[in-house]
Amino acid sequence: MNIRNKPALRDKLAAEYSLGTLKGAARRRFEGWLHNDADLRRLTAQWQARLMPLGEFASDVKPPQHVWRTIEQRLRLKPAMASVAPWRRWLSDSLDFWRNLGLVSTAMASVLVAVLLFKSLAPITPEIAYVATLTDEKSQAVMLVTADTAHRNMAVKFVLPQAVAADKSLELWAVPKSGAPRSLGLVGERQVATLHRDDNGAAPRDVFGLVPQDQVATVKLPEHATGPDVALLAVTLEPKGGSPNPNGPTGPILYKGPWIKI
Amino acid sequence: MATSSPPDVLQAQMKTWLLATGRQDSAAFRALYDAASAKLFGFALRILIKHELAEEVLQESFVSIWNNAASYQSQLSAPMTWMATIVRNKAFDLLRRADHAVEIDSEGFDQEVMQALEDPAATPIEALQMSGDAKALAHCFATIEGQHRQVIALAFYHDLSHSEVANQMALPIGTVKTWIRRGLERLKNCLSKGTL
Repeated sequence: MNIRNKPALRDKLAAEYSLGTLKGAARRRFEGWLHNDADLRRLTAQWQARLMPLGEFASDVKPPQHVWRTIEQRLRLKPAMASVAPWRRWLSDSLDFWRNLGLVSTAMASVLVAVLLFKSLAPITPEIAYVATLTDEKSQAVMLVTADTAHRNMAVKFVLPQAVAADKSLELWAVPKSGAPRSLGLVGERQVATLHRDDNGAAPRDVFGLVPQDQVATVKLPEHATGPDVALLAVTLEPKGGSPNPNGPTGPILYKGPWIKI
Repeated sequence: MATSSPPDVLQAQMKTWLLATGRQDSAAFRALYDAASAKLFGFALRILIKHELAEEVLQESFVSIWNNAASYQSQLSAPMTWMATIVRNKAFDLLRRADHAVEIDSEGFDQEVMQALEDPAATPIEALQMSGDAKALAHCFATIEGQHRQVIALAFYHDLSHSEVANQMALPIGTVKTWIRRGLERLKNCLSKGTL
């Protein structure tokens, strides 16, 4: 059948094809014509533009969140990072990183290093309950942090001494799985500043003590440094004296590592 | 759909996002999803009734939107039309593939839309949450007879043939054919006159 010179029929078929009432062999024949007939494609596009807004006559229903997550996973899209708070990004990045590396062997290596480093230094044998090896962007270990929950102290040691500009400070954070990072104090200075800011109306922070770069410094373990929700420790570069934002860091992340309970 | 921006600003915005999605811009794709997913999910749900089927179709559709966005031609179709076509095809594919029986709702449209079509004076079409294209179509739909409207809606939402519509409505097939043909003609004429 030739429909080239039958404008009314062409229009009727394009309409029925778009509505869906053109079925079976007639539909397949029409699709065959579409291939070689630009004008028929144009007529069909016009009918679809007329009829498809019928879809909007159904009211909006917000799809559940897992639909987007599945789409993202199937297409291997990176989550839209810009909309994620920076510390969330460190958390997911470094958790991925550590997962890929193999958490168990890494944790064992950290423990070994910690034991070797701290063995001779403490007057009483520390009972190390948490350990973190903080690495830089090249995955080089920069800092080692351990917590002794029995004696309530925390030890910080720079494995690779770092230069810090005179107007900057390095601030150590406990990064929980949800919620804002909590400051554990400033590190890498001759004298570690005590942060007495109000943290959203919370009590002033604990005195952190001395954490110079050239020795192991043992300080009182801040209450909020440990717990099942703390996934990661991180160090950010902040203005002198620490982050001016009471709710979290302002500067870039320099070192980070998972805070592993052992 | 975001209520803060007028629908046609949103349509223009969606066009930009869809074109950017064609260049593999995942942030634009996310924005497009945020803007269009509730509308498209509502549509899929209207066809499929069951939530889990509609979710599957929405997922399949957005994967397809990502993969085919580069071939989207903005001069040929509005972004909502293009995306709704994908959703509708995926929904019908799923129904055919799995041989799912779907409960057919002969009303076709939501209550609110039905009221606006029946009596635009009482329920203004302008107040409905839909694009300018859909409002124009609603205005035209309101001018055709209720039963003609219903046969078109049945065919559109449920992928029915003339004879299936006839069965559903307990009407002779010839009547259904005539009503659909006349209804579509009226819609075409009405839409070509532009908005009222």
